[in-house]
Amino acid sequence: MDPLKEHVALTRREFLTTAAGGIGGLALASLLAREGVGAPADRRLINPLAAKAPHFAPRARNCIFFFLSGGTSQVDLFDPKPKLNELAGQPLPPSVLEGLRFAFIQKDSARVMGSPRTFRQHGESGMYFSDLLPNVATLADDLCMVRSMHTEPFNHHPATIMMNSGFDRMGRPTLGSWLTYGLGSECDDLPGYVVLEPGPGIRGGATNWSCGFMPSTYEGVLFGTRGDAVHNLGNPPGITTAVQRMSLDTIARLNERRRRHIKDPEIDSRVSSYELAFRMQKAAPDLIDFSGERGATLEAYGIERGDDLQRRFSTSCLLARRMVERGVRFVNIYMDGWDHHGGINDGLVRNCGVVDQPIAALVKDLKQRGLLESTLVVWGTEFGRTPLGDNRIGMAAVTGRDHQPSAFSLWMAGGGVKGGLTYGATDDLGMNVVRDPVHINDFHATLLHLFGLDHEALTYHFEGRDYRLTDVAGRVMGEWIA
Amino acid sequence: MVRIAVISCPHRGRPHPVNVALGYALMTLAAVGVHASERPGLAGVTGLPPAASRAVDFSTDVEPLLAANCHECHGSETRKGGLRLDVREEALLGGDSGAVIAPGSAGESRLLHRVAGLDPEGIMPPKGEPLNIEQIGILRAWIEQGAEWPESAMGAGAEVRSRHWAFQSVEPVEPPGVKEAAWVRNPIDRFVLARLEREGIEPSPEADRVTLIRRLSLDLTGLPPSPADVEAFASDTSPEAYGRLVERLLGSPRFGEQWARHWLDLARYADSDGYEKDFHRPHAWRWRNWVIDSINRDQPFDEFTRDQLAGDLLPDATLEQRVATGFHRNSLLNREGGVDIEEDRTKIVKDRVNTVGTAWMALTVGCAECHSHKYDPITQREFYQLYAFFNSTDDRDIPAPLPREQGTWRRGMSALDLAKEAYVADEPDGFEAWVEEVAELPDIWVTPAVEDYELPTFGANNGANLYPQEDGSFLVTGMVENKTHYIMMLNTALRGITGIRIEAMTDEMLPRLGPGWATNGNFVLTEVLVEASPLTAVTALEAYGVGSVAADYSQEGFPVGAAIDGVTTNGGWAVDLPELPMHGVDRCAVLTLKKPIDHEGESRLKVSLVQHEGKSHTLGRVRVSYTTSEPEMLAGQAVPQRIRDIAGVPEARRTLDQRAELKRYYQATFQSDVDEFVEFTKRLAESPGVKGEVRAQVLAERDILRPTHLHVRGNFLEKGAEVEPGTPAVLPPLKTGGGEADRLALAKWLVDPGHPLTARVAVNRVWHHLFGEGLVNTPADFGTQGDTPSHPELLDWLAGEYARLGWSRKELIRRIVESATYRQASAVREALLDRDVNNRLLARQNRFRLSAENARDQFLAASGLMEAGIGGPSVGSERPRRGLYQQIKRAQIDPMLAVFDAPSTVQACPKRQRSNTPLQALTLLNGDLFMRSARELGRAAGWVAGGEMESRLCELFQRCTAREPTTEDLKDLSALWTRVRDYYREEPERAVEVVGAGEPGPRDVPEAAAWTVVARVVLNLDEVITRE
Repeated sequence: MDPLKEHVALTRREFLTTAAGGIGGLALASLLAREGVGAPADRRLINPLAAKAPHFAPRARNCIFFFLSGGTSQVDLFDPKPKLNELAGQPLPPSVLEGLRFAFIQKDSARVMGSPRTFRQHGESGMYFSDLLPNVATLADDLCMVRSMHTEPFNHHPATIMMNSGFDRMGRPTLGSWLTYGLGSECDDLPGYVVLEPGPGIRGGATNWSCGFMPSTYEGVLFGTRGDAVHNLGNPPGITTAVQRMSLDTIARLNERRRRHIKDPEIDSRVSSYELAFRMQKAAPDLIDFSGERGATLEAYGIERGDDLQRRFSTSCLLARRMVERGVRFVNIYMDGWDHHGGINDGLVRNCGVVDQPIAALVKDLKQRGLLESTLVVWGTEFGRTPLGDNRIGMAAVTGRDHQPSAFSLWMAGGGVKGGLTYGATDDLGMNVVRDPVHINDFHATLLHLFGLDHEALTYHFEGRDYRLTDVAGRVMGEWIA
Repeated sequence: MVRIAVISCPHRGRPHPVNVALGYALMTLAAVGVHASERPGLAGVTGLPPAASRAVDFSTDVEPLLAANCHECHGSETRKGGLRLDVREEALLGGDSGAVIAPGSAGESRLLHRVAGLDPEGIMPPKGEPLNIEQIGILRAWIEQGAEWPESAMGAGAEVRSRHWAFQSVEPVEPPGVKEAAWVRNPIDRFVLARLEREGIEPSPEADRVTLIRRLSLDLTGLPPSPADVEAFASDTSPEAYGRLVERLLGSPRFGEQWARHWLDLARYADSDGYEKDFHRPHAWRWRNWVIDSINRDQPFDEFTRDQLAGDLLPDATLEQRVATGFHRNSLLNREGGVDIEEDRTKIVKDRVNTVGTAWMALTVGCAECHSHKYDPITQREFYQLYAFFNSTDDRDIPAPLPREQGTWRRGMSALDLAKEAYVADEPDGFEAWVEEVAELPDIWVTPAVEDYELPTFGANNGANLYPQEDGSFLVTGMVENKTHYIMMLNTALRGITGIRIEAMTDEMLPRLGPGWATNGNFVLTEVLVEASPLTAVTALEAYGVGSVAADYSQEGFPVGAAIDGVTTNGGWAVDLPELPMHGVDRCAVLTLKKPIDHEGESRLKVSLVQHEGKSHTLGRVRVSYTTSEPEMLAGQAVPQRIRDIAGVPEARRTLDQRAELKRYYQATFQSDVDEFVEFTKRLAESPGVKGEVRAQVLAERDILRPTHLHVRGNFLEKGAEVEPGTPAVLPPLKTGGGEADRLALAKWLVDPGHPLTARVAVNRVWHHLFGEGLVNTPADFGTQGDTPSHPELLDWLAGEYARLGWSRKELIRRIVESATYRQASAVREALLDRDVNNRLLARQNRFRLSAENARDQFLAASGLMEAGIGGPSVGSERPRRGLYQQIKRAQIDPMLAVFDAPSTVQACPKRQRSNTPLQALTLLNGDLFMRSARELGRAAGWVAGGEMESRLCELFQRCTAREPTTEDLKDLSALWTRVRDYYREEPERAVEVVGAGEPGPRDVPEAAAWTVVARVVLNLDEVITRE
């Protein structure tokens, strides 16, 4: 039988139940893709989020990406520089400053700024952490620490967009979009790409999880950590689940009648979308219901601790695990407030106090549940901070650091990366990479590789060009892979 | 959809982190931070084979070598790396990375290094046999002997050729003959039917009349027809009925709204700047209004093009023509603190070039930003030639009353002129002598060009950005900070600087015309700090004390002396004029240094303008000048340059405005006849152009053009060869008629009948909106990577027709919608799916989901909530205005717009996605405005309407879908109604929630709730947001 006719012959109910993953059944229609006249079939009869095979065997299936936004200070957290204290208060020679571009620093009077942090080696690997991250430090042997990241933009938004989309201007799809585009979703009642934003909103808002020129199917969905998990998820006042069900049944019946008349399979997609919406309405409350979690787990994450921001960040970490368990492909957790031009010492104490415990708890929890192997956890940021103090006029004292794209640190855990590895090195001031430089495009290439995707082959055609996450560069960092 | 593809843009090198290879030596700190983006220098003659030891001749020796080894890639069709070696001028000009032939100097000729394999970027030719020593020797000898290239040789092929269909000119086409001539309504049908007949496929029958009126209404106005319109059309069987309907819809002002939205997609329209700050653009909508008006009055597309590209350059440009240039102002603008203004400016110019390329030519010119286009015949040099057209503009926000208010405006301006005449008729005592004195002031000031300032360190430190102006001043716009510092950092060869002049200047962009950013136009200059050092010792700037300061005017309590008193936290110089409704007067302060700044060689100079008063008491537009005259000469110099310039104009030649400005300045400064001054200034403040009126974002061309250089690898800091404005060689030549090669010439070039792209691209867009797919289904790309037209002859016929119709958009649309092709049913034909799944053959109409805005419009129109009124400012998403008017914040696109694939507004969007997602379902089911629509529809068509249940359901259904429900539909809906009503009888409080508050409330709340639910169900049917 002609596959399309076969498809047409299936009733909605059959086709929703025969195919695993609900609307995945529409993937049947991919069988129908026949050469049309002069062009390949591109009509979207298929569910764009149906799980797809990667290019090669993947190490990771899910990703939890912490974006500590504002530019975390590598020299105060991960990359110890004793020279800073030695040279504190001294200027750098003009030859060093020549050609450097800063956002705020006044070159003529800039001085090296010391760090009050104490660094210690941890684990068998002897990985360095400052005293601000005692819990994360216990993960040392599971982490792949990269000290030699570099990027180009030195302003926040372009740099953040760069980290998210591999390009420093708005308009391109972001990491989660590429992953869900390349691999689909393995979750039939939650979006494949979820964003959590405990604390104040991230600068640039939704541009950070934009699908760019891809269909909105691949856009990140912002989940609240309280109230409606998803925008418009809750029924309007007075519309109960029973009325919603009756309504959807009637909508489906009329749509199917229209479908028989017009014969457009797109109507089936509409029916499926409404059904998936209904399932999401049921699944989301379950997702945020922690009553089934053990007390020890809640305590480890710190769900009840400290202040509101701390509790919300902890909640986000636990939500992330629960999403990964349910098959969400990419969970992006943002925390703004790391742009320490002033008050860096107090600021870092406070911020690390928010993130250290729950991030460590999450990684351990994933590991204990056997999920870490297939879940890549990333601590990322848009750029680093200068060894020079930010000396802009009007500041009573120099107490912070300026933006620094030329060198910064990030780390990964799980998802096939090598634990206990400290990769790359910066000069004695943490100002420039001196060994094994890694550009953001390289990092992205590697991340895709861990998911079984070839960064040069994962392309999206738009306006006459095949676009990639890695733009025109990118190198897989084989050394990082376990 | 994962496609294995070649890397599409392989040459854009990333600067490698730098000092990796250098290692580093901290003891000297020498290596830290050295940027190593410098490209490797040429190797000289080392390693080059010796030159042939005879005189070589180009035609017999060199040309055959080039032809055999180079022309395939560096000829008229491909021009790899932007280099042609078959045309003399082009070859000598070089490619993306500069010149390759240096006549007389083998060591500097990259051509030789490449063919000899000495260049790090690899050997040429990259494939096949390398050139042998003897051949290279011939090339070397030719270059060393002066690279003689006779004009006659190979000159004939100077034009760039391409066989690509879209670059061939549009030739007249005869519609083909067909068998089923009876089906044909106009020539369009002949092209379509001929193709179908060739395939042995019959076209679809005409759609039923209800579908036709809904399709036409949606396509032309974006709104559904009312049930009464449907009834009238369905029962009008006269042959003219269809034509009359088309005429009515084309005449509807809603037509302009609908088609404006299509154009807004191309213009990347938004109501905010984008990037992190994403400031609101309160005036953006004024340009949108222009588009709506222009389309409604059917302004021909060639004029529509001309006005937007270059309206400001037209002789005697009207206000509307200037407003039209707002097209370009839709570029993103980064106002994040510490941003490099020049970098952002170059990004904006590139964006403008790319947008024009996409919107008018469907060319991906942006691919040539960093290197010559990989697929299309556009070199990097040509990209920067296009860039040069847009490189000399300033962004201005000008008073722009709406057309209907312009009469009043003009009358107001005339009245103001009369008032000015009266004002300048009398001269205050001492005025004449003062003018003379000012005119004779010695000219002692040097104002550095903005390029002389070091970017970006002149920037303000809290994120305010200073936009360089042509006159050497800096304008602070958008980012208004409470407290700030402006830092003017300069390397200068001036010796013996004795004084500094600071001018606080007025500007139409500032509150009450400025000169400050405070709401009353004031500022407070808390302190001026002057530091300098020899250029050789930049880390040790020395503070230079200011001995004395004079200003032309100081506000009581804010003397200018307070700006040099060493107190940087409060107080300072301010210029408020008490009890005045506006400022609008330039101010000036002159500082005399205690000792001159005088260094051997150049000095590094830093002037910091500290502004710590708060509440945006900051300078709006400021200019700093320097003098090396003797300190005595500085007496009396505290007069703004603008005033000095006017005073210098002989009295007889001063314009009315100049005369008024001079007198105002005099009166404001010396407080002579305060009453007259206050009265006149009030007049000014209330005049059109100042007081709370509408403004528009426009472009203004500079008098002095910026030179344009190629940016090597797209890097704005790495300037390559200078280029002149020009158009890609593969397209017809630019005609300037002896005039400037400016934006106006570019606009005329675009709409010249010989241009192969503009008309084709434009008609394809119209087709795209009337069929859901274009004849070329890549409306963004007509280049070699784009789609080929499904009906090339039809495309060309339409392109020709557009010009024949005088570029009338409405007439073109009329032609298309009157065709039998357009009027076909859209039902999917299963038998054709195997052969033509995408319906490229047009054996039926297409059905497709409506745009985000139109989906919203259906809910508002069906429920009757939609606010009437065309045009106006953008509104929040909860206001029941058409989707077109929803405010677009780039960083926070309204979730409803985003889930329905509204464009990101970052770049031109010629084709929207049409995704189908559960978030869309949630939005339409549960979103506030959508639920409100359901309530209102349920009320209006349900519980307050009289009549039978069935007729009420029919009315409700028709308002949403235009069609009558089938018997089964009615049965399902009334069954739902009954079940829901019964349900809510058991849950009365819930029913109240559903119906919501409102007066008067329903008598039977559960029934009313059931109507709401039924309305919500019908509004959520697939067909409501689908154009059939």
